[in-house]
Amino acid sequence: MTEAPSTAPLVVAESLGRNFPTRHGLLGRAHDVWAVRDVSLTIAKGETVGIVGESGCGKSTLGRMMMGLDLPTTGTMSFDGRDLSALSGPEMRKLSRRMQMVFQDPFGSLDPRRTIGAQIADGLRTHNIVPASEVKTEVARLLEQVGLPTSAAQRRPHEFSGGQRQRIAVARALSTRPDFIVADEPVSALDVSIQAQVVNLLEDLRRDLDLAMLFISHDLHVVRHLCTRIVVMYLGRIVEEGPAEKVFGSPAHPYTRALLAATPSLHPGDGSDGDRILKGELPSPANPPSGCPFRTRCPLAEEACASAVPGLDPVGKHWNVRCIKAGPVTAAQEVPA
Amino acid sequence: MSRSTRKLILPGTIAALIVATVLLAPVLPLQDVRGMDIPNRFAGPSAAHWLGQDDFGRDVLARLIWGGRASLFIAVGSALFAAIIGTALGLLGGYFRGVVELLTVRAAEIILCLPPLLLALLVVTILGAGTWPLVLALTILYTPNYARVVYAATQQVRGLDFVTAQRSMGTHPLKILVRTILPNVLPPLLVQMSLVVASAMVIESGLSFLGLGVVPPTPSWGLMIRSARGAMEVAPLLLVWPSLALAGTILTFNLLCDRLQSALDPRAVTAGGALWLRPRSAAAKTPAAPVEAPADAPLLEIRDMSIAVRDMELVRRVSLTVRPGETVALVGESGSGKTLTGLAMTGLLPDTLRVTGGSALYTTREGKAVDLAKLDEEGIRALRGDEVSMVFQDAAAALNPVLRIGEQVAEAIRAHHDLEGEALQTRVVELLRHVGIPDPERRARAYPHELSGGQRQRAMIAVAVANNPRLLIADEPTTALDPTIQAQILQLFAQLKRETPGMGMIFVTHDLAVVAEIADRVTVMYAGEVVEEGPVAEVFERPRHPYTAALIASVPEGGAERLTAIPGSVPSPRQMPAGCRFAPRCAFATERCTAHPPTAEHPAPGRVTRCFHWENVT
Repeated sequence: MTEAPSTAPLVVAESLGRNFPTRHGLLGRAHDVWAVRDVSLTIAKGETVGIVGESGCGKSTLGRMMMGLDLPTTGTMSFDGRDLSALSGPEMRKLSRRMQMVFQDPFGSLDPRRTIGAQIADGLRTHNIVPASEVKTEVARLLEQVGLPTSAAQRRPHEFSGGQRQRIAVARALSTRPDFIVADEPVSALDVSIQAQVVNLLEDLRRDLDLAMLFISHDLHVVRHLCTRIVVMYLGRIVEEGPAEKVFGSPAHPYTRALLAATPSLHPGDGSDGDRILKGELPSPANPPSGCPFRTRCPLAEEACASAVPGLDPVGKHWNVRCIKAGPVTAAQEVPA
Repeated sequence: MSRSTRKLILPGTIAALIVATVLLAPVLPLQDVRGMDIPNRFAGPSAAHWLGQDDFGRDVLARLIWGGRASLFIAVGSALFAAIIGTALGLLGGYFRGVVELLTVRAAEIILCLPPLLLALLVVTILGAGTWPLVLALTILYTPNYARVVYAATQQVRGLDFVTAQRSMGTHPLKILVRTILPNVLPPLLVQMSLVVASAMVIESGLSFLGLGVVPPTPSWGLMIRSARGAMEVAPLLLVWPSLALAGTILTFNLLCDRLQSALDPRAVTAGGALWLRPRSAAAKTPAAPVEAPADAPLLEIRDMSIAVRDMELVRRVSLTVRPGETVALVGESGSGKTLTGLAMTGLLPDTLRVTGGSALYTTREGKAVDLAKLDEEGIRALRGDEVSMVFQDAAAALNPVLRIGEQVAEAIRAHHDLEGEALQTRVVELLRHVGIPDPERRARAYPHELSGGQRQRAMIAVAVANNPRLLIADEPTTALDPTIQAQILQLFAQLKRETPGMGMIFVTHDLAVVAEIADRVTVMYAGEVVEEGPVAEVFERPRHPYTAALIASVPEGGAERLTAIPGSVPSPRQMPAGCRFAPRCAFATERCTAHPPTAEHPAPGRVTRCFHWENVT
């Protein structure tokens, strides 16, 4: 295994796109449905990138492509300098040791019919991480690492609560000693108090193991807490990306602002948020609006927005926005015309 | 031994007995199967011949056991062979799809186009009659059945997260098939197996009956039935024995497969009851005569209500008050009993659960006080939808998928009002417009699946408020929605509150931020008990119970470097701590907490906390 220089990003996605063509009727023409379009993204070791967006924005498809589970229609996805789509089956399986995934649904991500220990040992055995005689000790160590008793190894998933299952899923992901973890909404199905346990666990692991992490979520608070860099997606495209404190502190894209305003808060404002609540719903990806995908719901939209898809232009250091009317504004400030 | 394993004993023993008997046929002290005794043909049962003698005077018992050997071997053998081949084809086709699917499942399906008996006849004609050709014919015949069943099950399982997890772990596809997918497609496979064994036995009997299966004088059940048919008038019993053997064996195998299926599933089988078996304790359900409520009575006053399943208490002594126009949030984690409390108010508790104590006094429109916990089905139905109504979490599941949205709203209105035709339609459209569904005239004719998630939730709210209920119970109505849609729905609830000032609302949720946005008062539940209640702003400003304080601190809001997590998890209802139920996870817990459950304290007017240490919490 060649160690990449620490400055080079571990994971590089270049203008990734994924099309799911659908056909209407028996003889109908295939219709393009782009779940992800033109997404470029890099993640370095020890960095957590958060992907935020609502259902249907393509964030999970992006996660699967970055794991090599799904091949991009356009663009390239490379891990540690190797193009994933050029790899053969055995090569990909070998490389997948270094990339692991944590899923949203802690009830669906574990095989209900096998013991926890057997499922965690799978990765150890497949990639010969430890000699066969030490598999048991290693499973125990992994369980301890995620804060579960070692006796858990003999039990089956249905005997555990949601939070405990999510820890088991994390232990399984860690078993192959990965460098890169994709966490697809790992806490959305959990109770608040358990969410905090899992978020803290992921944070500790990232720090201790120097992992690169892609954290997919629709919960802005969790993302803000955990991530160094944020990517906001809407209808398959990145609409804003940048350092966490910039994107949340002074969001430049009207969608990011709307998302922030829509998120309920323990300390609700005076109710003026009412006007800020986004009207309408996500357009169908099969029939996206012309020009800027957000213009149908955008409070700032004007004629120019319909003509062309805006470019992802910098508004600050490492901070890009896809909006022709972009400007960093704090929530209190007036929107510049 | 688990309950499902115990259930295996009966069919397992019978099947083992049957198999042992036919296997041990050569060593059992049986009469010669071919030994004829023409003078005693059609003799009835006797000490020497327990089941009598057949048309050649041969011993029926011996022939039955030897015949079972042939019949069972052919049926079980071909069922197993077909299962192995068909499962392999189905797994490969279902997992890899594409060309592999064409070569495996689709190829096997060609056999399905041929009439089964004809196919069997063809094979037997080519290879000659006998046991092995029959096994081959039946194997070919049943392989596509298995392939199809396994193919369908595989397709369902392959998309599940735990299979994806195996893929992302770099496990070899064949290993995934055998280790992960095969055990999870076993249940339908077993069902198929029991059907095939039965059907193979019948076909074997049929072919032997036609003279194309087992060759006489080797006995088989089919052959026995065939020869007995000719002598039906003389010795009807000869027909009964092989038929009984056939039917009994098939039933045993079906039972065995059913029980095996439930034994192989590690998840406990949930006990459900048929509706008519619903326990009705007459004493608890005697409706008290409605009493005149005092003028200043709250809309709903739950006092010390408990809900239990058999002897397990899931909700204990919950008290809650809703005044007209007030929104009370019921907050807690999963397993806290918040949803059950809400369901009990509408009489929609699952069949196995019952309200075991306390009262829930509700003040009706006419100013009468009724106890919702003691009303019978008839009484609660009169209130449900009209005075008390409910909004569920999953609108996609709560709306009927085959009824148009408009019809479902109309149904809710008609249940309590005599509105028909034009007037009803106008009211429906008006309601849909009221909950913010765009283009309501057209949307009323849409089916639920044609609406987006947010619109479906609006439609369900329209159903709930169709009769201007006085108490609206919303069970996690925004949990499944995206942030911007959730904000829209919360806004809709706020609007409903403003426009119907007399309506009280119980808002069940696990999201504290939502509580802060919508509710006036909050009741925090933990492990089936109310731990704290009070006005939202006050409780959030200064929680007086360690659990509430920890919940608030665990919300990832604000700039805290590290989130405060509550260690451990909610105790199971079977192992509730003796004293304060939160004590094992509590930072403030002392010996006193584990000894006695804390009593209700009143830190301020209108506030309640159940904690010995409430003064030190914040």
